[in-house]
Amino acid sequence: MRNFTGLLVNEWLKLSKKRSFFVAYAILAVVFGILAYAFYELSPDGLNSTVDFATGTIMLQAAGQLVPVLAVLAAAGSVTQEHRYGTIKFLLIRAQSRNKILASKYIISVVYTLTLVLTAAVLAVVAGYIVYGGGAGESTWSDFLTNIASLAVYSIVFVTMTFMIGILTKSNGASIGVGIFSMMVGSLLVMLLSRYTITKYLLFSNTDLSVYNGEGPPIEGMTMAFSIVILLVYMALFLSVSFAVFKKRDIA
Amino acid sequence: MKTAKISNPSIVLQLDGLTKKIGGKAIVDGLSFDIAKGEVVGLLGPNGAGKTTTMRMIVGLIGMTSGDVRICGQSVRTNFEQAISHVGGIIENPEFYPYMTGYDNLMQYKRMTAGVTEARIAEVTRLVGMQDALGKRVKAYSLGMRQRLGIAQALLHEPKLLILDEPTNGLDPAGIREMREYLKQIAEAEGIAILVSSHLLSEIELMCSRIVVIQEGKLVTIRSLGESETPTQKLLSISLQVGNAERAQELINLMEDITIARADALTNRITLQLRQDQIPGLVGKLSTAGVEIYRIEEVRETLEEEFMKLTGGNRIA
Repeated sequence: MRNFTGLLVNEWLKLSKKRSFFVAYAILAVVFGILAYAFYELSPDGLNSTVDFATGTIMLQAAGQLVPVLAVLAAAGSVTQEHRYGTIKFLLIRAQSRNKILASKYIISVVYTLTLVLTAAVLAVVAGYIVYGGGAGESTWSDFLTNIASLAVYSIVFVTMTFMIGILTKSNGASIGVGIFSMMVGSLLVMLLSRYTITKYLLFSNTDLSVYNGEGPPIEGMTMAFSIVILLVYMALFLSVSFAVFKKRDIA
Repeated sequence: MKTAKISNPSIVLQLDGLTKKIGGKAIVDGLSFDIAKGEVVGLLGPNGAGKTTTMRMIVGLIGMTSGDVRICGQSVRTNFEQAISHVGGIIENPEFYPYMTGYDNLMQYKRMTAGVTEARIAEVTRLVGMQDALGKRVKAYSLGMRQRLGIAQALLHEPKLLILDEPTNGLDPAGIREMREYLKQIAEAEGIAILVSSHLLSEIELMCSRIVVIQEGKLVTIRSLGESETPTQKLLSISLQVGNAERAQELINLMEDITIARADALTNRITLQLRQDQIPGLVGKLSTAGVEIYRIEEVRETLEEEFMKLTGGNRIA
């Protein structure tokens, strides 16, 4: 167990020792700063409080979209960078099973994603407080927490998918490309195919859980529980493929 | 757990019918050999003979189709974590996380292995002479420095076996020499067994006590190098440069048990075969007969010549 903690520390350091590590957090800070300034200048209708601001900006359709993008960038590199640097050879000749090594990589990718979600949440509240200083509006803290939770779920699903593509292709660029492309095109695809009921089994129809708290699901008859089950099935599939391929792979 | 095929406890590495097939074609085919404690063994073979594949199978980077590798009695196939804990390796160039310092890189490997202390890190960095560069980022390192850090990481967990694939690749002559000295020192001082592959045959000759030659994935021969005992009964090959080759030839022909392999009247060189104890007599005879002797050299077959003979040149399979 002490060994596994060591693996987790290693993976975290591989991320955080990079000079670009703080860039992701800085981008979030800048974006929320700009949003705060814009809202202060324009004071749009319907937004009257800190909670309104925070709940609105952290949505996937707003600044929240940055979080899964930044998370995918990091997740794509987790395995592919080891191949690129050639360090995979040193990594896999230690007294550690490949399963444990891959598990540590996946866990840290998820932890990193959660730090991004948390940072975005804190920034949203702080920026909102600076502009509105509290105030009374429509949204409640519970709406805000729901949006954070669905942002986290959405990000983790795409991180898991990108993680698998990184293992399959060994290419950083390809996995970033596929990860971000499917984020963009996924919802479009669901719209186009929404008249077929089979579409509800598509991953992309289920990635945004916040719809159950607002506009309603893309296809009628879908429920939150249904979406969660579908997501779990896809995640299990992605992870089994990842672990199976990584364990068998010849490092040539 | 199938282990105990080992009879000799000093055997560190044991290959047993190691085979790798890719698409029906055997890259490595039924390879078997042992390495004992403190031995430095060279793995030789022409390009494409399966050296790198063999080494990668030993450290578990590539899966084996059949056969097994046992390290200190533990099977790499069924008992990977225990087996690999005895192994340190550099497979091709040593690669590190370029944005981290040398120290941070070593710490990565320290965290992966139980029982490696900070003191051990200091010890191995001193051994490879890297203590001053350890705080610098690896991307600022020269290839020679990376090689040294590579050795440091391989020794970190006090392995019983080192697997080095082309460890002198890309090093300058001084670096190669330094590397050779380290390896010899490590093998002698710490009793570590070393399996090394290199295409520099002269290097292997200087470094190894034994060589394993493979070709097209199959074992060609295993033999010891540098038997330094010079048995007086053994035939030596001697090349003489004299003032007058014809006269010398006449004299030598009169002597018993000395055969002339080659004689060249133009350069006045004679190559002959004789026993060591016959040399003083020969020199005396030639001198008294007034034949000047300019040079006496032993003619040795280099490993390269032997290698070419064994593998039939550098055919790529």
